Formats: sequence, structure tokens, C-alpha cells
Amino acid sequence: MTDAPTNLHLGPLSPASGPLYQQIVDGIKREVLADRLTAGSALPSYRVLAEQLLVSLITVKRAYEELEREGITFSRQGLGTFVAARGNDRTRADRRAAARGALRSAIHAARQAGVTDRELIQMLRDELKSQPAESNHEHIRGSAP
Amino acid sequence: MSASAIEFQGVRKSFGLAFSLGSLTLSVPRGSIYALIGPNGAGKSTALNMLMGMGEPTLGSIRVLDRDIRHDEVEIKRRTAYVSPDMDYRAWGTVGRAIDFIRGFYPDWNAARCEELQFIFGVHRDARVSALSFGARMKLALILALSRDAELLVLDEPTLGLDAIARRQLFAELLKFMTGESRTILISSHQLTDLERFADHAAIVSQGKLLTCGRMDELVDRYRQFDARILRDTPLSVPGVSVIDRQGDRVRLLVDGDLVAADALQIPQIEVLAQVPLTLEDLFLALIKGANGGSGWWPQMSAA
Repeated sequence: MTDAPTNLHLGPLSPASGPLYQQIVDGIKREVLADRLTAGSALPSYRVLAEQLLVSLITVKRAYEELEREGITFSRQGLGTFVAARGNDRTRADRRAAARGALRSAIHAARQAGVTDRELIQMLRDELKSQPAESNHEHIRGSAP
Repeated sequence: MSASAIEFQGVRKSFGLAFSLGSLTLSVPRGSIYALIGPNGAGKSTALNMLMGMGEPTLGSIRVLDRDIRHDEVEIKRRTAYVSPDMDYRAWGTVGRAIDFIRGFYPDWNAARCEELQFIFGVHRDARVSALSFGARMKLALILALSRDAELLVLDEPTLGLDAIARRQLFAELLKFMTGESRTILISSHQLTDLERFADHAAIVSQGKLLTCGRMDELVDRYRQFDARILRDTPLSVPGVSVIDRQGDRVRLLVDGDLVAADALQIPQIEVLAQVPLTLEDLFLALIKGANGGSGWWPQMSAA
């Protein structure tokens, strides 16, 4: 009933880009969102992924626990960890919530700086114009500092 | 089979009046990479040496792979590989002769793995050991340890003399070693950035005493660093809060989350400016400074 663990490519992790476990969580969510990891597919074991990514077992374990807590994956005793049926939806909902959160802090920062709502809306229009409409999440993430 | 690969139980080791280790009670979980961290002379090597039969504890007991080091030394050594910077293979002339001599002692020797490791670390059979750099001799010791199918690796400063590339290769090999179930590594090193990334657990020792230990992520989460401004120059007396550094009216504080409530820094003496991300190296420096009585302006509040 189980496929061989998916060959997961998350790219190199760097301690400079924040907690390593979080980078694994984000990387797997990105793969799920892009349908490169589909519902039911198996994730590599802790040990295999730790060896591939050059991080401690505890880091991978913590990332897997976080993904499971968020409902992106589920685990079966003795079989491994798998992408949940609705993992994709959850990741998308999660992303939307994060975007809304970022928008809220932008509004907060604007109000603090005395920017009027009208100016703020104009700012948003300008920013939207300056970025291609059908922007690809992957590339934006990939080039982020 | 117990959950611990190594168990120090109330271990003390005295060398006259000059130095004593302990009392040390520490358990290294099976299946983990465990980092032993401390300044030079903290007692790390003394602890590791006792595991390998070099010096018996003055008090207390040590169990390795469920066996008592006093009674089952041979069995323990059969299942344990050990590396230290003191190992000297010059007497065998070439790398190849050293390998050929050592391998015969170990039924778990893996010749193919040994070849592979020589390639990875770039140490050649024909090289004369005496002509090798210090780092390359360390690589030879690592090749000899990793060519076995040991259950436990005891590595005393294996990163000494290794450049950044070789260190990365070493940790990659250690993680490969860990893909075998229930294998364990106890490693002492001063490469804290590497250890933070690769080790699952850590213990910090200083002057023979254990300052703190735990899961790496929990240790780094447990302690927090804050920058604050001094409003009133009176001694700060909050247990679990210590001063790491001071510049004028600015201080950096280390807060032990296990001892201190979240609002502990809401006191009239200081104004907290920001929380600063904490690395293992920051934690190490702060704890060692605290253990040595600190050098600050406020009386040092020990976190222990």
C-alpha cells in the first residue's frame, strides 16, 4: 500500500535563513502546493532526509511533527509519513492566511507612518503593477533573501 | 536494551587537588548525536577517556551499551569506535600499513567502506603517515573508526585540524552512520556552529561541572537573549537572569525560561529594547561567563 519514499528535493538549507526545521516545513509545503508531492505519497524517513539535508535527526523530526500538527501530513506507526489528502488545501489556506497577516502588518505600519487609506490603496495598486500578475510562488520564494 | 547508549551515574574523577570532574550524571540516548561542549580543560576528554578504559571513575558508575565499563571492557570496545587527536599511526609507516594492521582486530570491518572513506577524505594508501598534515592524520583516524560497523562512536575533538570542507564531509559521514538504527555518537568539539546543526543533544561542561544539557532545539529555545537599557543602576537580582555584556547603559541579558516567568524583565531597573536570536555559541559563551562569576557590573546571578 505504500510507495517507495519520494525523492524529495528541498535544496540546501542554510542556518542564516532562520530555523532549519522551519525551512524544511516551508520546503515541503512548497512541494505539496506545487503538486510535486501528492496526497498519499511517502516522505523520506527522518534518517534519510537528515542525511540528504545535512541536519540533525531532531531537526527533521521536529519539522515532521509540525507538518503533522498542521494537517499537511499524517504518519502511520512503522510505515512512515505521508502527505495528507487535503494537505494541499491546508497549505493553500495557510498561505492565504499568511498573506492576509502580512497585509495587516502593512496596514498597521502605514497607519503608524500617517499614510491615509487612499494613499495606501494607491501604494498597493503601484506595487501590484510593478510585479507580474501571474507571478510564480516558487520564484518569488527562491529569490527571497 | 535500555534507551541510553551511555550512562554516567554520579561520576567523579579526581586528580589530586589540581582538577576534579563531576559529580557528573548524564545519559546519552540511543540513536542520537550527542555533543559534549566545554572550554579547554573542562573535563571533556577526561569523561571520554573513562568510557574507553583510560582512567577509572573515583566515584560513581559508567554504563556503555548496557554494560559496566569496569566489567565488560572488551565487549564495549568491540562495539565502540573511538577517535582522538592523540592517536598516532606513524609507527606503521604508510596509511595502507596502518589500515591493514588495524582492520584485523575488528570482525565488523567493512573493506569497501574503508576504500570509499579514503576517497572521500582524500587520504591515500601510499602516503607516509609522518608526511601527513595534522588534519590528514585526523582523517586517517576517522577513516579507521568509520570503516567499522560500530554501534557507538566516541569522537574526542574530531574536527581539530579539519578545514571547513573536511568538517562538512565528516558530518555528512556521521549522518550516514546514523542511518543505521539505534546507532549513537558522542562527540566533543569546539565547532559550535556545526554541532548546532548536526547534533540532537548537547551537554555544556565547565571546570568539571555540568552546566546544562538537553535536546539541542530545546536548549536553544529555553534560553533567551534580550538587549536592555539600564534605567536605575542598582543591582539586578532576578534568579535565572544573567548579564552577558554591558556597554554604557546597554546590557545584554540571558534569561533561563525554565526559571523565569515571561514578565520577569518588567522591572524598574531596566527597559527591554529587543529580543536577540540566540545561537548555541551565544548560549555557550553566556553560560561559561556565568559559571566563572561573570565580569559585569551587576552581581552575576547564576542560572544553575
